[in-house]
Amino acid sequence: MLNPSVVPARSFLYRELQKRGAALGEVNGYGCAMRIGSDAAAEDAQARSLGLCDLTPLKRIGFKGWATAEWLIGQGATLEDAPNRVYPQDDGARIARLSKGEFVILGDLHLRSTLPDRLGIAWSINNASGCFRVPREDASAWLCLSGEHAGAMFAKVCGIDMRPQHFANNQIAQTSLARMNAIIMRNDRGATLAFDLVFDLASAVYLWNALLDAMTEFDGKPVGLEAVRGLG
Amino acid sequence: MKIINCPLNGPRNAQEFVHGGEFVAMPDPHRTSDSDWAGFVFLENNTAGVVREWWCHVPTAYWFIAERDTIKDEFIRTFDPSEIFRERVEFTRPEATKS
Amino acid sequence: MTRMTSRLAEPFGSLIDRAKPITFSFEGRSVQGFAGDTIASALLASNITMISRSFKYHRPRGPMTMAGQDGNTLVQIGPEPNRLADRVAIKEGLVVKGLNYWGSLERDYFALLGLFDRFLPVGFYYKAFYKPRWLWPFWEAVIRRVAGLGKVDVHAHHGYFDKEYLFCDVLVVGGGPAGLEAALKAAETAGEVILVDENASLGGSLNYARFDEVGARARVERDRLIAALDARPNIRVMTDTVCNGAYADNWYPLVKANRLYKLRAKTAVFATGSYEQPLTFRNNDLPGVMLGSAAQRLIKLYAVRPGQRAVVVAANDDAYGVALDLLDAGVEVACVTDLRADPPPAPLSAALLKRHVPVIAGVTVYEAEASAGGRGVCAVRLAKVTSEGIAQIMGDRFVCDLIAVSTGYAPTSPLISQAGGTFGYDEASAMLAIRSLPADVVAAGSVNGAYALDAALEDGRHAGWQAMRSQRLAAGDEPRLSAEKGARGITWPFPIFSHPRGKNFVDFDEDISVKDFEHAMLEGFEHVELLKRFTTNGMGPSQGRASSMPAIRLAARHAKRTIDETGTTTSRPPVTQVKIGHLAGRSFDPVRYTAMHFRHLEAGARMMSAGLWLRPEFYGDPKQRAALITAEAKNVRENVGLIDVSTLGGLDVRGPDAAEFLNRMYTFAYAKQPIGRSRYVLMTDQAGVIIDDGVACRFHNDWFYVTATTSGVDAVYRSMLWYNAQWRLKVDITNVTAAYAGVNLAGPNARKVLEKLCKDADLSKDAFPYMGVREATVAGIKALLLRVGFVGELGYEIHVPASRGEALWDALMIAGKEFGIRAFGVEAQRVLRLEKGHIIVSQDTDGLTTPWEADMAWAIAKTKPFFVGQRSLEIQAKQKFARKLVGFEITDRAQAVPKECHLVIRGTEITGRVTSIADSTSLGKIIGMAYVAADQSEPGTTIDIRVDGGAMVKATVVKMPFYDPDAARQEL
Repeated sequence: MLNPSVVPARSFLYRELQKRGAALGEVNGYGCAMRIGSDAAAEDAQARSLGLCDLTPLKRIGFKGWATAEWLIGQGATLEDAPNRVYPQDDGARIARLSKGEFVILGDLHLRSTLPDRLGIAWSINNASGCFRVPREDASAWLCLSGEHAGAMFAKVCGIDMRPQHFANNQIAQTSLARMNAIIMRNDRGATLAFDLVFDLASAVYLWNALLDAMTEFDGKPVGLEAVRGLG
Repeated sequence: MKIINCPLNGPRNAQEFVHGGEFVAMPDPHRTSDSDWAGFVFLENNTAGVVREWWCHVPTAYWFIAERDTIKDEFIRTFDPSEIFRERVEFTRPEATKS
Repeated sequence: MTRMTSRLAEPFGSLIDRAKPITFSFEGRSVQGFAGDTIASALLASNITMISRSFKYHRPRGPMTMAGQDGNTLVQIGPEPNRLADRVAIKEGLVVKGLNYWGSLERDYFALLGLFDRFLPVGFYYKAFYKPRWLWPFWEAVIRRVAGLGKVDVHAHHGYFDKEYLFCDVLVVGGGPAGLEAALKAAETAGEVILVDENASLGGSLNYARFDEVGARARVERDRLIAALDARPNIRVMTDTVCNGAYADNWYPLVKANRLYKLRAKTAVFATGSYEQPLTFRNNDLPGVMLGSAAQRLIKLYAVRPGQRAVVVAANDDAYGVALDLLDAGVEVACVTDLRADPPPAPLSAALLKRHVPVIAGVTVYEAEASAGGRGVCAVRLAKVTSEGIAQIMGDRFVCDLIAVSTGYAPTSPLISQAGGTFGYDEASAMLAIRSLPADVVAAGSVNGAYALDAALEDGRHAGWQAMRSQRLAAGDEPRLSAEKGARGITWPFPIFSHPRGKNFVDFDEDISVKDFEHAMLEGFEHVELLKRFTTNGMGPSQGRASSMPAIRLAARHAKRTIDETGTTTSRPPVTQVKIGHLAGRSFDPVRYTAMHFRHLEAGARMMSAGLWLRPEFYGDPKQRAALITAEAKNVRENVGLIDVSTLGGLDVRGPDAAEFLNRMYTFAYAKQPIGRSRYVLMTDQAGVIIDDGVACRFHNDWFYVTATTSGVDAVYRSMLWYNAQWRLKVDITNVTAAYAGVNLAGPNARKVLEKLCKDADLSKDAFPYMGVREATVAGIKALLLRVGFVGELGYEIHVPASRGEALWDALMIAGKEFGIRAFGVEAQRVLRLEKGHIIVSQDTDGLTTPWEADMAWAIAKTKPFFVGQRSLEIQAKQKFARKLVGFEITDRAQAVPKECHLVIRGTEITGRVTSIADSTSLGKIIGMAYVAADQSEPGTTIDIRVDGGAMVKATVVKMPFYDPDAARQEL
């Protein structure tokens, strides 16, 4: 099992995950909770019912500025004009358009998508006029909340109706979540309802525990990366 | 709680917004009297009726302008500031304009 | 007369389950009831009629409404005071006590207060005890003990309360006949309907009232509606749920058990019904005097016989239904006294005539006679109604233990009023009626004037149709509405009767009787809002549900005005009592950790709040606080220290106009700032007041990394975006505070430590001088290096991606070990920076501080075309300023040490205050900053600081910085 102190990058949540019996593996230079507990089948079922997974170790990158959309399209990204929508890319990455000029690009769960890295390499302040890098990989924590109860659970922490019939797949809400600013994206995984939460890294421990408390009513529990990967 | 229709994010609870004060054009700071400048800095019009105000959607730090009826406490219209501010604003000192 | 109330056989008792007995205790006695009983119904079933005592005179009280609408049934349940006994369901082992007594509920020593009522008029407390002022705390303690209400147990276990948001298309409040019909109709096309009722069971009056001679119709209608409801899955039913207020844009708090729901509806339908109103006569508050509907609820819902022998007081046909129900329950009805001189023929009164009950028309109750100890009723005396509020006593006296009153109604108006609806007085029905409703709010049933059952059902269907229409949903044809609503002739216009010996209560919560109103109005409190506040009418637990209309009627009569001219008091949320737990709920208190947070805890740091952040105050045992802070500071001066500065704000300002943008936002000049250098930034607002500071580091022609204060960065960021929404400069502003973990490595050994970990930058003084900035790699981590001097020693701020912060901290602590590295906290940093004379914005500045006052003219660029605050600063520069921020020192160690905020005094004048103070070990004296009068600001001036206890301490104004004035150490 990986000792998180030997890798340079650390999710703020690794202690919380270790407390809950997470087996850490190295992902992207981070200690990442691959499995929590010993019953993988139960954990997979948990992810379909109500699970919370720390995806902070995965790839993500941000860009912002008046000419950003053009630059991204020039790099091969597929986008439309409407903000607050997620645009899935061919390689499994997802581009979240937060406004006319602000974007977050999330890598896929298996680290197969190359888009986040390609964009990171392609961008330089000298060659992307009107497009600026936002260090989402450093500034933001990333959690995935999955399972059939996820929509109902949001009612305890968020003032927006996130039930599946009211909040479509690939829709984004930038709102207040447990009194914190957060980006909530509905990104179903396979047939399972799922939301990606991207928010202030410094508040990761706070929000993690606030969400788990709200999830108790639905028997929600933390799950490892493998359980979310298993959703498809 | 009131609902405010954010031009970027749609209708949201008022809790997600902060009020940014009356929409007032700043007088040219170098070509206005001391007392007019003090009026701009310290006085509010506090109009009863339809006013223009700045509002900010906090989670996105997005500023917009709202037309609100302060008597009925009703939002009439909200819109992006680019409807009003279309061009780069420049400042000059009076001596610079002479040359 | 002994009271022998007892349980009735089925079918009475729709709410109770006789198979499930439950035992609880009341006043130490064991009481048995059934599942479904409330505390009050179980007590009455066990012949306990006195539940509490009243607030002021400690008079015995029993249930009046049996619907949780009066304050007579307030009890203490375990540690929880002021629960409604006719609302709370019994549970095994519940410990219940009455309220407002000293001694026992049965023998209350304060009950004698009632004998002195003429000395205790309303306003008595204000008048009697406010002089002399110093005695008030004594009287307050006495009054609080007598006035009572429940006792809060501060050690009680905190329950788990939480909140949830709800959303629906149509909210229907009230599950009576109208509400049920409205929900059913709306559900035909609306997506989601939520039907809320505060009672345990839907049906409203269909559960207890009588609508026909045999009493069968209510059941039929209820069964039909409930069956239809069950077939509509898009109606969510929430019983035992109180809609506790109405807020803007159809926003409603719903309280159910330990959860507060915050509901947003597109349309709201209020089918809140009406309150049956009490009648005011002498001793109308005795246990055994209750509303007709209360008697019916006891019989039908709980199978409790409310008495043995009853007198029914009528002013409408419903009262005859009450009499019929009493007869069916085996209660002897001594007589029906009808206030109406000539009651019109009606179905229920006709039915009662067949049962040979004497009906006396044109007569009211003159007074109720109390049984021993005032614990119940033993008889009534009647009086002939002669004129408005006046009745002439007659010889008739009826022995009875129950007086059931059905003399009128008032619409349940609070929610509609709070939602913005208006009510006016309808003379024809002697009731308030809706005058206007806001958009997206609909009313149905008796609150909308539809009192007759058929009218209420029709009105409900119509309201459901209106709700659909308001959302532009297909609604079909408009449902029929009959003209006859049954509102007329059911409410007695002046149900308040004078009595020479008083005790004719209008407000039961606060023991306010008719004479109290008369006295108040004679003293000039005629306006209803003043009358309410002076008498406290309607301010008790029942919130004027029974007392508001009588008070308005009394005020109108006194002033010889109409009810509309008199006006009503304003209704505000909450509608009914709300627990602090619901408001506090599951509170969300975000807290931000830096990447090194757990390392600080492991090192024994005492953490302190800085905005949402937690920062180490110092490291080690709090008992050694001062010594630890001194040692941490000393180590920075002598060896090397490491402080976590991640909470410092960070903003990336990028684009071709980045320098121009900073020129406009900050007081200094940035256009010519070289790449690889940092420069101080000072931000003022348009009034020229200092609001933030930091440094701007130029890493590229188009890229500044700008720091801001921990607490100021969010406002600075927002303000930057606001200005550029207007200026339209080619610049992008990004708040990167959370992206970076930052440390300040400071002290004479700082370079030696850093050199071990950073190989790709020349750290020598010449290559990387003071105020230089570099991109480099530290311990294998990509970092921004800033040579800054906040603490006045050779120092490097190292900013790395937050995910690498812990690894960086670990590497520096290991590398620094041989050079005596020691972590230092915020307190040591405050001392160090004070020695250097650096201000902390919002500690050393306040909401008025200008750069002129803070002696920071050096930070103001003179020739820029514009910066925020520039014009105001130019105006101020022409004026004299009153105060100045200066450094001071205290060398006389015998004096007391002032604290922050202690005042600077000259003669009788306050000229300033201390903003920062510290005992500087490096300098061996007390140093500080203070505001002083402008003419006290010359170095060498002696100032007097008033310390705790009033002593004056002498301090000397000195030039800052106190330490290393040539800045030789930080520029090493």
